[in-house]
Order: sequence, then structure tokens, then C-alpha cells
Amino acid sequence: MRLAGVTREFGGSAGVRAIDLDVQAGEIHALVGLNGAGKSTLMKLMLGMLRPDAGRVELLGAEVATAGPAVWARVGALIEYPLAYGELDGRTNLELAARLRGVPAAGVPPLVDAVLDELDLRRYAGVRARRMSLGNRQRLGLAAALQHRPDLIILDEPTNALDPAGVIALREALLRRAADGAGVLVSSHHLDEVARIASRISVIAEGRMVGSLDPDGIDIERAFFSLVHQAMAGAGR
Amino acid sequence: MSTFTAALAVEARKARSARVLWSTGVLLVVGVAVLAGAMVAAARSGNAEVAAKLGPTAAAGDWPALLGVAAQVTAAGGLLAFGVGISWLTGREFADRTVSGLFGLPVGRGTIAAAKMLVYAGWALAASLALTALLPLVGLLVGIGLPSVADLIGLSRQFALGVLTALIAVPAGWAASIGRGLLPGIAAAVGILVVAQVSVVAGVGGWVPFVAPAAWAMRPDGPTSLALLLVPAVPLVFGVATVLAWRRLQLDR
Repeated sequence: MRLAGVTREFGGSAGVRAIDLDVQAGEIHALVGLNGAGKSTLMKLMLGMLRPDAGRVELLGAEVATAGPAVWARVGALIEYPLAYGELDGRTNLELAARLRGVPAAGVPPLVDAVLDELDLRRYAGVRARRMSLGNRQRLGLAAALQHRPDLIILDEPTNALDPAGVIALREALLRRAADGAGVLVSSHHLDEVARIASRISVIAEGRMVGSLDPDGIDIERAFFSLVHQAMAGAGR
Repeated sequence: MSTFTAALAVEARKARSARVLWSTGVLLVVGVAVLAGAMVAAARSGNAEVAAKLGPTAAAGDWPALLGVAAQVTAAGGLLAFGVGISWLTGREFADRTVSGLFGLPVGRGTIAAAKMLVYAGWALAASLALTALLPLVGLLVGIGLPSVADLIGLSRQFALGVLTALIAVPAGWAASIGRGLLPGIAAAVGILVVAQVSVVAGVGGWVPFVAPAAWAMRPDGPTSLALLLVPAVPLVFGVATVLAWRRLQLDR
């Protein structure tokens, strides 16, 4: 995936400006920034939830605005809220999510079974989503985004509401997919467990990419805040 | 076509578990049947005062009376029930915040909206059929016997009224999409009802598409039956507008 000079502004100083970003096959790329830095806006631009004022967004070699079903079938994403319908149980939610991602009806059950085990959701297969805890609903949303083995994975703050076991299950699932060649982009407002497994960490602040962190560096927390504070000072805040 | 098949399978599965669609459908079918039956039973109680209060539609206490009351209640109650149903089908994705999960899929949002329209049509058709099937039972219960051939034609008109009423409720689905929630859709259904009432009072009723189905069901030989031809324009315009609204949707507010 590649973003080149992407800008989308809202009223006031909100939005993202002149963003260049890429995710290569087989890598986990973390996008880290404080709340309101522009992470969600950027991910919405990648998935066509917002249209850019300027710049280009390319997914798997196709322009986002004109990408066809064959491209989108290779993408898995979770932005803001999990795709989980309260009246449907875990299994049915996953089955519908697989259909919406282009999996033929006959191919759905094995995928659902595999992801129920992978994310330790088997106990909730027959439980309606409205009766699940926030954390389990998040797991369900992640399972829906990952089960069809996409080549490009985009997850916005995926560890939200997850318990430590859920974080580990997600981390393992992402490492497996990256090892199989998928490109993964995850966002976080702090250097959490998932951001720390990334091969690249980019920092966003005030709607701009302000630098990158060395995942193996010493005291990357301090380096992160230093980049953010410089950006805020530059923006007059 | 395969993405539409997937969207339709998904929307149909969601509808099957939808308490809103089940309860609204049952409420409409049973509500109209009970009200119509009760009015005719009251008219047949022999009390002239009660019969006078029920007005000319129900007073005779026969099959035309049962059909007349059913048509009146379907025209108003059906519009609200169908309006709630289609508002929920489109507006629930915003209310339940599932709409963000409907981006970035091989199945486009316009396709999903079209599948929602088809599911709505199936649901409305089933409710209209169920009501039509229930009325002969109500007739037997209130003692007016089985319908004659003329009454059977009246029953088929009742079925058509249900379907036509569902067609003129389609703008509610568009309003729920534009307004991004259930309430704008329900408000639109109430608005359509008000427009219909005002049109009747103003005397232009029958030619307004929102009034034409009820006007025709009450007076099939009336001068405005031709106005029925305008009715399909409503779901056509607002159905296409809904699909376009979903296709062009941005999560910018």
C-alpha cells in the first residue's frame, strides 16, 4: 500500500496533510500518535471512508477510488467499531463477514472454524454479540478482518478493550500473516504490545508524519514523545 | 452479480433475526385484523348508537365493512409500520455503528443498499400476504361467513393496498440513510402520513402518490384510480437515491 501527498482537511486545524506512507508485503508497520493526531482519518482515507482533497492512495496496485472487488477481497480491516451485529451469534457474524469479503458460501465454514480457534473465540461461537463483553466483540471484529487471509491488513487501535490474552492472540495472528507475506498496518496511541512487534514504527502528530522510531532502539518511549512535542511546538501548540 | 448474491444472503440472514422486522410485521398484521374485526363485531351487536358512531364504513357489519375498515387502518398504520421497517434496515448500520465495517469490501455499499431494498420488498410482501390471509379467518370469527366472489376481489385489493403502501414508505429508507439513523426515517414516514392527510383535507388527495393507494382501496371506481400509475415513481426515485447515497457515503460526520 502506498500513500503519496495525501491531504484531507476538516474545519479548524483537524485533518491530515501531505502524508507519504507505505506498507510492504510481509512487514508489520505501526502508526503511532496521540489521540486526535490523525491516525483514524488516515486509515479512513485508505479504505475509501473518506476521499482525499489531494494526493494518491494505492492499495495492492490499484487506486482506492477505483479498486474493484478483486482488490478489496484481499484486504482486511477494522476501523473504529467491529462489524458485529448484536442479534447474531459469533459464528453467524463471522460467516456474514466472510461472505461480504468475497468468500464463496462453500468456503466459509472452514475459515470461520479456523479463526474461532486462532483467536480463542470458540466459546462465543453460539453467543449473541450483544451479550459479549467489549473485549470479546473486539476479538470478533478482528477475527472478521483476518479470517479470509488478506494480503493487506489495516487495523485501527486493534488492542482496544482486549485483555492480555487477546493481545497475545492478536500479536501471534499478525506475525503469522506477515510471515505468510501479508502487509500489516496497525495504529496505536501508545507503544503497545502490537506496535512493539512492528518492523517499522512511524509517528504521526498534528496531522503530519513527523518521523520514525527504531523498534529495537533503547527508550523509544522517550524518542516518541520528543518527536510529538517537536511537532506540537512547530504547530504553535 | 455474485457480489449482489452475497449482499442479499447477508441482508436476508440479518433480517431473519431482526426483532424489529418481526415485531413490526406482526403488530401490523394482527393490529389491522383485530381492529377491523372489532369494529364489524361492534356494528353487528345490534346497538344502533354504536353502529352510528362507527360511521358509514363499518356500520353495515358485513364483508365490505370489514374490508373498508382494514383498508383505512392499513393506509395509515401500514405506512408507519413499513416506514419503521425500512428506516431500521438502512438506519441501523449507523445506529449500531456497523457502517464502518461496510467499507473496504468487495461488496460495494450501493450493492448492500440494493439488497436491503429487496429484503424490504420481501418483508412487506410477506406482511401484506399474511394480513390478506388472516382476514377471512376474522370474518368467520365475527360471524359474517366466508367472503363472496366480490369480497374476494376486495381481499385482493387489500393485498395490493399493503404492497402499494410499502412502496410509498420507501422515502423513509432514504431519509434514514441521509440522516444516518433511524429517527430521520421514522420522521419521514410520519411526514408522508401528514402530507397524505393534508392532501385529502385539501381535496387534491387522490392525485398525490402518497394518497392514491388508500383513495383507490376505499373507492376503486373513483376518478383518481389512474393516479396509481404514479405510485411506482416513488420507490423508483427514492430507491435509486438511497443506493446512490450509500455508494457516495463518506464517514465525515
